[in-house]
Amino acid sequence: MAKSDDCMHILQGLLVFGNVVIGMCGIALTAECIYVVSNPHGAYPLLKATESSGIYAAAWIGIFVGLALFALSILGIIGVIKASRTLLLVYIILMLITFAFEMASSITAATNQDSLTPNVFLKQMLERYQKSEPNNNSDNEVTKTWDELMRQNHCCGVNGPSDWQNYTSAFRSTHSDADYPWPRACCVLDAKGLPVNLDGCKLGVSGYYNSNGCYDAMSGPVNAHAWGVAWFGFAILCWTFCVLLGTMFYWSGIEY
Amino acid sequence: ELGTKPALTQDLEGVTTATTFVLEQPRCIFGNFSKAVIWLVVALDKDAPAFNNSAEPGTPETAFQSFPNAVSAYMTLNATLASYPCPKPAGDITVLRVGSETSCATDVSRPTCNGPLPGPGPYRVKFLALEGSVPVAETAWSAPITLRTAKPLSSISTAGGGHSAGMIAITSILSILLAILLAALVAMLFSCGSDSCGSSTFSKPESVSVQRYNTHHVYDQAAARL
Repeated sequence: MAKSDDCMHILQGLLVFGNVVIGMCGIALTAECIYVVSNPHGAYPLLKATESSGIYAAAWIGIFVGLALFALSILGIIGVIKASRTLLLVYIILMLITFAFEMASSITAATNQDSLTPNVFLKQMLERYQKSEPNNNSDNEVTKTWDELMRQNHCCGVNGPSDWQNYTSAFRSTHSDADYPWPRACCVLDAKGLPVNLDGCKLGVSGYYNSNGCYDAMSGPVNAHAWGVAWFGFAILCWTFCVLLGTMFYWSGIEY
Repeated sequence: ELGTKPALTQDLEGVTTATTFVLEQPRCIFGNFSKAVIWLVVALDKDAPAFNNSAEPGTPETAFQSFPNAVSAYMTLNATLASYPCPKPAGDITVLRVGSETSCATDVSRPTCNGPLPGPGPYRVKFLALEGSVPVAETAWSAPITLRTAKPLSSISTAGGGHSAGMIAITSILSILLAILLAALVAMLFSCGSDSCGSSTFSKPESVSVQRYNTHHVYDQAAARL
């Protein structure tokens, strides 16, 4: 008898500890997802234009899941200490629902990352950059975003300036190849925004043009955000799994 | 005929584009012809052997604007030897960009225009030194130069990049965990639905007897009041 009592108390202690950790992780998840949602990086308009901004959906779900985890962990602590069957049953069922939501968020963030290949951005850039009759506001946004991106990160195109040579584009249909082998934003610019050496830029002399592609600069922040949401959610769910199994075992051992 | 051939420059991103290419300047090649004017002759690869050195620059027979339909080779980029001083100062970029003048491309009054080339080629070029209209020296024809062709935009495939290992790991592990939890929930409810749980594992006899004691006590008190 005494031994099962000790087991009971140890299990209670472990469950309370587990729930405390879940509560804290819930707050951390909420904080991380609020950061991702409110801190769109420079390439956000491009993401919106590709209609592949699942990362933001995943982050919004993460905010609410984090708050739910915090509330449920308090419920769990109360239920474990009081050894109340009804409270713990409610806790288990609500936790399973939260588990399912967080699983959806984590998988969405991970899948979204896989779909953002360089070709997606390349095609969008060639179709819309400096489009002569912009269909809607998002074409202007794409042009402005690319100009900002290329100036600030000293890069050109997605893979490099040769993107503009290797493929036809909206830009090419309005700007002759001899005068604009690549856009002026690919040139090294002085303080006034004019190319330092226009001929050097057109020739492709190193030092007067940006030879790197922008894909790394773009995908870096997006990747960090998305994998942060996905993997942190995964870690929380693994811990929650253990706590829930323990709670179910504890529940089945409570005297009615 | 001088043995050297005109060559494309090295180490420039824009050495060939869709309508231009960049040649090394003919430095230290034409030795003693200080009065000569050096012209660049551009022809399609197949028309190069048929070119006659007595062709005069600036005439309709060598006008850029009629190339390549009516004219098989055009002459452009004229310069005196003074423009190509020898020896070449180290560190200077000495290039000739063929195809850079867009303003005169359709202006027939400028037949020696250095206009953008009309197609991907292949082209061959040579330098020809003329004194008056007498050819005095020339280089050999260059190797064939092919320009870049742009692939159509629609050929870029944006099919999904496949699934990374991380995404597969997350999906499969989480699905398994959820399945285990649901199975455990079902097992828990079924085996404990009839309140038969608890009696064999964690029994708390002291608390049970305390409950009964309280019940009796409350009933006694209620009876006593009455």
